[in-house]
Amino acid sequence: MFSKILIANRGEIAIRIIRACKEMGISTVAVFSEADRDALHVSLADESYCIGPAPAAQSYLNMDAILMIARFCGVQAIHPGYGLLSENPEFAQRCEQAGIEFIGAPADVMRKMGDKDMARRTMRQAGVPVVPGCDLVATLEDAIREAKQIGYPLLIKARAGGGGRGIRRVNGESELAAAYRSAAAEAQSAFGDGALYMEKLLLRVKHIEVQLLCDRKGHVVCLGERDCSMQRKNQKVIEESPAVCVSGELRKQLTETTALAAREAGYVGAGTIEYLLTEDGQFYFMEMNTRLQVEHPVTEMVTGVDLVKSQIRIASGQPLTIRQKDVRIDHHAIECRINAEDPANNFRPSCGQIGILHIPGGPNVRFDTALYQGYSIPPFYDSMIGKLIVSARTREDAIRKMQAALCEMVIEGVNHNAQMHLDLLCEPVFIDGSYTTDYLANRKA
Amino acid sequence: MALLNKRLFKKPNIRLEGEAGDGETRQTEQDTLVSCSACGVSVPWKVMLSQDFVCPHCGALQTLSARDRMLWLCDADSFREIDKDLKPIDRLQFPGYAKKLEKTALESGEPEGVITGTGRISGRLCAFFFMNPDFIMGSMGAVVGEKITRLFEYAKKRRLPVIGYAVSGGARIQEGVFSLMQMAKTSGAVLRHSQAGLLYIVVLTHPTTGGVTASFAMEADIILAEPRALIGFAGPRVIEQTMRQQLPEGFQRAEFLLEKGFVDRIVPRNAQKKELYQLLRLHTREASL
Repeated sequence: MFSKILIANRGEIAIRIIRACKEMGISTVAVFSEADRDALHVSLADESYCIGPAPAAQSYLNMDAILMIARFCGVQAIHPGYGLLSENPEFAQRCEQAGIEFIGAPADVMRKMGDKDMARRTMRQAGVPVVPGCDLVATLEDAIREAKQIGYPLLIKARAGGGGRGIRRVNGESELAAAYRSAAAEAQSAFGDGALYMEKLLLRVKHIEVQLLCDRKGHVVCLGERDCSMQRKNQKVIEESPAVCVSGELRKQLTETTALAAREAGYVGAGTIEYLLTEDGQFYFMEMNTRLQVEHPVTEMVTGVDLVKSQIRIASGQPLTIRQKDVRIDHHAIECRINAEDPANNFRPSCGQIGILHIPGGPNVRFDTALYQGYSIPPFYDSMIGKLIVSARTREDAIRKMQAALCEMVIEGVNHNAQMHLDLLCEPVFIDGSYTTDYLANRKA
Repeated sequence: MALLNKRLFKKPNIRLEGEAGDGETRQTEQDTLVSCSACGVSVPWKVMLSQDFVCPHCGALQTLSARDRMLWLCDADSFREIDKDLKPIDRLQFPGYAKKLEKTALESGEPEGVITGTGRISGRLCAFFFMNPDFIMGSMGAVVGEKITRLFEYAKKRRLPVIGYAVSGGARIQEGVFSLMQMAKTSGAVLRHSQAGLLYIVVLTHPTTGGVTASFAMEADIILAEPRALIGFAGPRVIEQTMRQQLPEGFQRAEFLLEKGFVDRIVPRNAQKKELYQLLRLHTREASL
């Protein structure tokens, strides 16, 4: 087991990882930007080092600085959390060269899955259904020709995409040129890679993802699915597990397909395969996330498996101690992402100093956050300030528990979206679980 | 300094997963980096400690917190702190004082501006006080005065010599007359300790000023000072503005005071441990060990 780990992230996920390390007896090294001097992860880690100015590009994405600190502190592994460097194969490779374990997928798998076009091909080969579409399009003319074949509406997607960026919806040929150019430009600036491919736009679909764990010995365990269909602008808002729309038979199919895909990709670590599920029960591979996900607590709450600890154990070379038959899902969990934003003002990000902070409690209520009273939320980073997760025996109980917990939560000083969550939980489509990914976009406020 | 001090959170004593026994050596906060106050170079704390808190890069003397000073001076694990739970109160309801106390305590990780206790230098038992520049510039409020007084009383009872490291901005204005009366109280305690025939050595560090200079800091049997330390009652700027005169070069510095006879010897930091040990050896009877 590693005795010291560097956490190359910030916010609630850095704290989540530090806590796991503490429980495992591992010493922790935090890194932070100048804007994060007062951040909780800085205080909670055993050692903390400033790695640059506020913009993430100069601090949390500064591989040289992070690796220098890692070497100086003599850490054996780096946990990248989610976002930032977590899906960066170059970083994984540089860690390897420095003799430091990268707690995540191997660099080549990450490269294969991070390239969304290559991922589609790999999955197709493995026999996993993929959304009808085309491979990379080199020019606008190619795109127009391919688009005719696929049929409108369709999606233009960036090969290097992630976090909902580099995606454009095209309803007809007249919109294609503009969408093509803006998606390419956005992908180029966000990921340094403007290559695009296209997919048929499936309407009224569910976003279902399957959590998996793979060890170095080739064992694969799927930890059930999550329904992440409640999305706003491709950002997940509410996640739950298990999904109402997934029957026992479908779950079995999903599990088998996912395990097959993971083996085919040579996957190691914790990962997620995202699928689109149509109304008639067909599922298509969408993408693979080669990292821990924001919504991982949902799976932890229903399976009792600590995903962060599992990641660390796998990275240190230990085999999985659970098998597929040990995975029992006998709870229902819901997660609401609490964002510092103003729903009444077109979700404009909100920042400021936290006044009164009351975190909801009680059995099976979990609040992952980096907030504390008196903390000032810096304006440079993601607006997510917490994740409220509850679990109960039944979905109905879980919804009740979430409603009670949301009402108990007090975060003064910034605007946040708790009320929006409360409204959503009461809506008929949520209660019967039939909401699809386009629900929030069409919902009248 | 972060809003939430690391010391707020205890380090769980958990064995590394999968390891048997407790053979694993734990990382502590002492493995952290500190940066030189003059040149900014980052140096591991342990290296700073071994270099007597003189920057190995530029040679600048680092300001030491009371806790670091204690760890540096006393034999390993020999220090037993006394009165560590005495906490200041805002008796006068001085505007902003309660908030300042709270913030300073969080940032410095200490409840007050001095730590007192007993420890050993090269095996010789001694009572110590270390003032803390990180706590409102080591200013003397009621608690600082009380802890110093109690230390001298304790040392008198146990017949121990006292070694003190002074660094202070003077009496704490937020405690008004209560802090001024500490001057008389501490002086009395020093006197009674002295009348019992016991030794008191003080090391004046940069800066030692105001009410502390005017009381227990200058009442020691032997007064040592760190090189270039500012030692005085009113600061040089105040004097200059009041007297409307240009002050001589090096005014109120340790060297100036040595020349005028207020300081007995200037001891560089790397020689202090040995010097203090020698003085203790010369002035205390073997029997008192």
